[in-house]
Amino acid sequence: MSRKLAALALVLAILVCSMGLKTALSSGNTGSAVMLANGPAPAPPDLPTKPRK
Amino acid sequence: MPGPLALAIWYIGIVLEIAFVVCSIARKSFFRYLFLNTYFLLGLGSDAGRYFFLSKFGLDSTEYRYAYFYTDALLTLALYVALISLYVRVFGELRLNNFVRFAAVLLLLGTALFSYAVVVQSEQRLVTTFAYELSQNLYFVGLVLTYILWGAVLKLRETRTRVVQFILSLGLYFSAYAACYALGNISSRHVAVQYMSGAIGCLLPLTWTFTMLRHTEESRLEPARLLAVAR
Repeated sequence: MSRKLAALALVLAILVCSMGLKTALSSGNTGSAVMLANGPAPAPPDLPTKPRK
Repeated sequence: MPGPLALAIWYIGIVLEIAFVVCSIARKSFFRYLFLNTYFLLGLGSDAGRYFFLSKFGLDSTEYRYAYFYTDALLTLALYVALISLYVRVFGELRLNNFVRFAAVLLLLGTALFSYAVVVQSEQRLVTTFAYELSQNLYFVGLVLTYILWGAVLKLRETRTRVVQFILSLGLYFSAYAACYALGNISSRHVAVQYMSGAIGCLLPLTWTFTMLRHTEESRLEPARLLAVAR
């Protein structure tokens, strides 16, 4: 049981650190979409905005 | 279509991804580093799919955007699994494999839940925004996890050269992307930022291929004494 609680505490700490770091790095956001992406493929300008019909 | 420089970076990245898989097969380490190879094989599949949509519909098309962001989410998940496989390798001797796997699943669920909470009120298509948000959040989780793993490598005095260099390369890769993200937030439309992202994508296959080529499974390396934590 204590191991599970330790895992939960660890997970929460990592999540808080990660999201805090993300927020800190995006504090100068100008409002336009900024992305991180895997691989060397050319990134599209931004997310698709309109739902498909 | 994107410019010649962006395409050149992409082609170099594809060659490096193939090189890593070929090197692992040649060095008889394909199954030993199965999840790392799976990540690059998925990357190659994604590249093929992205190229199809890019050449057929163009860079600004909705089709390419969907293909790009969905494959990106899939690749980020694969990279997360690859990172956890390195955790299992480092903590294997301490018999903490089950704990690591349990925590990894819990962390993935937590990140997914957090991402869902962020996008649930979005006016845009929920699945796409969720895939994008999850992908971005997992990046930062991966970044933090890599630094924790590096701390564990120093503390446990891990000496396997390949494992150490894989982890260092991953740290470099995540950190470079984080820097690119920060730079992009300051000036997202800057041309250099767009090329940087592609160039960083080549970094991981390049360093991992180099490691696979240069070192064998038996190679050992001691982290510098200055960095090693005293027991």
